[in-house]
Amino acid sequence: MPDSGTLSARGPAAVAGSRRVTWLGRLRNIEPVMLLWIALIGVLLFLVAFPLAKLFVVSFEDQRTGAFTLANYAFAYGRERYINALVNSLLLGLASATLAVILAVPMAWAVSRTDMPGKGLTWATVLGAFILPPYLSAIGWILLAGPNSGFVNRFWRDLTGFEAPLFNIFSFEGMTLVIALNSFPLVFIFVKAALDLVSSEMEDAANILGAGTWTAMRRISIPLVMPAILGGFILVFLEAISLFGVPAILGIPARLNVVTTQLWQFFEWPVRVEVAAAYAMPLLMITAGLIAVQKLLLARKGFVSQTGKGGERRLIRLGRWRWALFAWCAGVGLLAVAMPLFVLAQASFAKAWGRGFALDNLTLANYRLLIFEHEMAMQSVWNTVWFSATAATIAVLLALLIAYIVNRRLVPFGDALAFVAMAPFVIPGIVMAIGFYAAYAAPPLALYGTAALIILAFAARFLPIAYANSAAAIRAVHPEMEEAARILGSGRLHAVWRITTPLVRKALLGGWLIVFIVASRELSAAIFLVGPRTRTMAVLLYDMSEAGNFEVLAAFGGILLVITMAFVGIGMKLLGRDFMLRRG
Amino acid sequence: MTGLTKRGLLAGAAGIGAAAIIPSRRAAAQDMPAHERELYAAAQREGQLTWYTGQMQAEPSEAIGRAFTERYPGVRVNVVRSTSQVAFQRLSQDMRARVRQCDVFSSVDQSHLTFLKREGHLLEYRPRNAEGMLKVVRDLGDPDGLFQVTYLALYMLGRRTDRVSEAEAPKSWQDIIDPKWKDQLSVGHPGFSGAIGSWAVMMRKMYGVDYLRALERNKPQIGRSAADPVTVLNAGERTIGVGMPSATSLLSISRGNPLALIYPTDGTLMVPAPSGALKNAPNPNAAKLFMEYFTGPIYSQTVRQYFGESLRPEVPAPDGAKALDQFAAMTPTAEEVEKGIPEIREIWRDIFGV
Amino acid sequence: MPRLILNGLTKIYGRLTVVDAIDLTLEEGEFVSLLGPSGCGKTTTLRMIAGFIPPDAGTIEIDGKVLSAPGSVLPPERRGMSMIFQSYAIWPNMTVAENVGFGLELRKLPRAEVRSRVGAILEVVKMSHLADRYPSELSGGQQQRVALARAIVVEPAVLLLDEPLSNLDANLREEMRFEIRRLHDEFRITTVYVTHDQAEAMATSDRIAVMNAGRIEQVDAPHLLYTRPRTRFVAGFIGRTNLIEARLVQGEIVFDTVALAASRLATPPQGGDGAVLLSVRPQSMMLRETRPEDANGHAVLPAEVTRRVYLGETWDYLIRPRDSAIELRVSAPPTQVHEVGQAVWLTLDPQQVVIVD
Repeated sequence: MPDSGTLSARGPAAVAGSRRVTWLGRLRNIEPVMLLWIALIGVLLFLVAFPLAKLFVVSFEDQRTGAFTLANYAFAYGRERYINALVNSLLLGLASATLAVILAVPMAWAVSRTDMPGKGLTWATVLGAFILPPYLSAIGWILLAGPNSGFVNRFWRDLTGFEAPLFNIFSFEGMTLVIALNSFPLVFIFVKAALDLVSSEMEDAANILGAGTWTAMRRISIPLVMPAILGGFILVFLEAISLFGVPAILGIPARLNVVTTQLWQFFEWPVRVEVAAAYAMPLLMITAGLIAVQKLLLARKGFVSQTGKGGERRLIRLGRWRWALFAWCAGVGLLAVAMPLFVLAQASFAKAWGRGFALDNLTLANYRLLIFEHEMAMQSVWNTVWFSATAATIAVLLALLIAYIVNRRLVPFGDALAFVAMAPFVIPGIVMAIGFYAAYAAPPLALYGTAALIILAFAARFLPIAYANSAAAIRAVHPEMEEAARILGSGRLHAVWRITTPLVRKALLGGWLIVFIVASRELSAAIFLVGPRTRTMAVLLYDMSEAGNFEVLAAFGGILLVITMAFVGIGMKLLGRDFMLRRG
Repeated sequence: MTGLTKRGLLAGAAGIGAAAIIPSRRAAAQDMPAHERELYAAAQREGQLTWYTGQMQAEPSEAIGRAFTERYPGVRVNVVRSTSQVAFQRLSQDMRARVRQCDVFSSVDQSHLTFLKREGHLLEYRPRNAEGMLKVVRDLGDPDGLFQVTYLALYMLGRRTDRVSEAEAPKSWQDIIDPKWKDQLSVGHPGFSGAIGSWAVMMRKMYGVDYLRALERNKPQIGRSAADPVTVLNAGERTIGVGMPSATSLLSISRGNPLALIYPTDGTLMVPAPSGALKNAPNPNAAKLFMEYFTGPIYSQTVRQYFGESLRPEVPAPDGAKALDQFAAMTPTAEEVEKGIPEIREIWRDIFGV
Repeated sequence: MPRLILNGLTKIYGRLTVVDAIDLTLEEGEFVSLLGPSGCGKTTTLRMIAGFIPPDAGTIEIDGKVLSAPGSVLPPERRGMSMIFQSYAIWPNMTVAENVGFGLELRKLPRAEVRSRVGAILEVVKMSHLADRYPSELSGGQQQRVALARAIVVEPAVLLLDEPLSNLDANLREEMRFEIRRLHDEFRITTVYVTHDQAEAMATSDRIAVMNAGRIEQVDAPHLLYTRPRTRFVAGFIGRTNLIEARLVQGEIVFDTVALAASRLATPPQGGDGAVLLSVRPQSMMLRETRPEDANGHAVLPAEVTRRVYLGETWDYLIRPRDSAIELRVSAPPTQVHEVGQAVWLTLDPQQVVIVD
């Protein structure tokens, strides 16, 4: 390049010169939609960045004066009990995530790669576990495995004559089990999606060198999808440390204090949101650390994403072993879905659940009470539906537009925008909620107790789901689709409206439904933000669990599940069976 | 933002329906004392009130709200029932966020109301009907009349009748720390239940902190609400309930559950549970009217059906309950409660780990 | 009057100058290709013409009006152009007729006229029978025809084509090449065509602008690019060639053992003595087993076959002139067979030797 020197000397000078000249022309020809993009970025910052920044700032503020102080940190970490809660959360997260991986990876491998029978049933299990809220599952497991009264333990005693229970749900192991049984679908979805991309030739190449089916799986297939396994592990870990319902319901009788129940204590009178903020910081650091570790572990090796193309995929014939795998999947399904649902259903139609199945124990009174008599129940159903629907709409619209401007590179720092939109994915929901409380509960916005606060928090919390969904949809629409419209005379927004939106409609509907469904069962974020008139079903269920009336509670859980199933059903009808479980 | 809710529409529809039965409404209004009639007229314009309560369980609380609306049609009650600590926590969050939501606040923790009074958050209103209440109840209320005792909660021991006979059952609070009750006990949590907080304060006062340590060694199953032991006993998970609320227990017994109450010889915990209207109540007239309702006879008749103590001489005690003067009772003072509960919560958490 | 003028057009991404001060003028009705390897800046140039990318320097003018200048870019929808994309960008949610009619609707034409013009253009591209189909029901070639119809029907001031045939298979590509030229002959729309395929550019274009590293190396009619390449890049990119370093010494071009009279070149060198670079096409040399009697002004030199490859239509020989360090690539017809190691005579026509920069 002999004249590159003269080039670079000429280029910028010419640029600068012409810029001065056409300063006015620039204003004249600016696209007005630019303002819309700027507004969008503002909304994104409002929803995600500001609450987190506020949380950070508040953690250094004196409650009364607002002056800088480290006292909140001193207080938050000044007692052994508080530190123990942190340690408990970490252990619980690690144990739950490990168990979830153990449960899910064989299932994902079986469904993706083998001729195991009953795959439909396995799908149903995963979907069922995905939509069953963890707090309901916890109640179900109290009915199953309460040390003295649980059905399983009573059956065990009758069977063996032993005094000791088979399994005590009020324990660390019990919490681990319930959390893992509820969150293994996250691992399953990730790992199955990755395994679907592994070409059979990868395994063939190992087979030809002398590896059997199991060796090929252990040494080739599973290591190839390690990023997916790690990703799922991290998600389950984050889910576990930010759950509130399960620790409150199972952890208190188990004498286990964790971060979330401790945060709840900081919200007791007098509300110490500053201390709570300081106490929530390690969760953020752990999250950041985990992601760094994941990056480090995966830094150099090639993984499935690089082998995605080419090669056919055949199902591995397992022979008699397929029944062993089927038994594994069925076992998980039994523990995660069938058994808790069965006892909850039984309790919801029982006068006294402890009496078990008997005709004279059957009643519809629990449902009648909720639907016709309970002052708050139907209100909370309505709240849940419209909060979730509004939050889903906000999240999907925002995500669509952000994904659009990022994908089409309409603004500088698009990657940073995408990062902000995805950040809530790895921020524990309870931390988001406290951030929202710190930022918007008090004046000037004074959103505490309003529906807006919950809707905004839900929209922010589930923005990443909507974003991943929208980004995939937008990526699938070639930019030339719009450019073709523009060159023929259609403006930017007109082209988006006429061309892009119709093309991504289905994907958006899928994203909307998923956000709606997860929002409708969200407890951890809601519990800190609800006011008396804005209680959602999840919060009311939690409040009911305080009073221990399991029959009514189970009936209310049944109503929640029926509503969820209705929306899942709509999604399946419109978008196909696995719309919830596809990886966006 | 709730103006367009389904419930709002339903209420509207109910209003239209009610127009057909106006004569009976007028009759109801006519038998009201004059001071109630005035308040009722003003409260009707407000149309609703929000009541935070931790006093009775959800079901009776809803019934209390419904009975109010039956007595004063057109004034709807938003019943927000939770444990007292949670209710107070919500109120605290409201105040911190300077949001006006709650009209009337009821707690089993007297210190909540004395605190609200001291901070000037209570409406200065002495209900006229309070004059007709039992003297013992009247005396437990605020001398200035800013809050009234609206519920006398009794907390005692309970047993599974099929597992523990009357003879072998513990007779006193002191008895339950005997190691033979290990893994048999069930109790609420002072961090969630004001009554259990008061109870723990009294136990510390009578027997010292060691009492709680001894209790811990018996590994009680800890729930949240004071009523948790009722469920736990009904389920057969444990056999002895500690600090069981009499009303909830009696209700459960009346439904055929194998439970029996034990009035401890060293004193049934009697917690006067007060209620007060808030100064910044969004519906001040409805709030005043609700205070009149609390102190009047219809309220006592309503709670009696749910085994709540009658507050007025003309309404008899609930079925199955001992009369107020037939058992040893203990009541912590307001200062003991206000100072003691935050302390005991920390002590409890240090001892029990949660 | 020229229709489209690119004047010093420049685009810089970070430290990379993607398009480097290019100048290009298109006459009304002219078909010009931008030809170059991937990454040469041809698509960026096209997208600047379309208005999707603002220039960092220079201007784009159409009929004397400046459409693009740094900081002031008329948006694509107000340029009256149309474009055909690599992916066709046929909207899958609209039928063929709806796709084609979209631009006309935006121009607020009466519905009847939209219908008749859509019908007419579909006739021209032989797609009338598929007007109500959806794109997913069409083959690649049919989609390409829809894209052409959609672009032409609005009678654009300039038609832009961005590698429109690269997704088609070889046979179809050849067919569509002629189709594009046929449509151009019929409608005479000023056209800018971007491609990396020289055969495509040659078959369709009036002139070709060969681009390399952001610059236009040469703009000429297709046959002139081959016979009169001006730069080393053009010589190498358009067809194959032998590049020979030589010296110009007192009217003679000297390399190796060869000396040619400079005056016998088709374009004799202008400058003084010094180093020159020669481009000699493999087709411009001939191999003989015996020394030709009549040199006819051609240079004749003894040589040896060092390697050979049979390519079906031609032999491709690698020839080393005797006592020489250089090797020359020579094409010969299939009947002319020489063994490796065989001594041959090489003749070179100075008329076909070109000095390149």
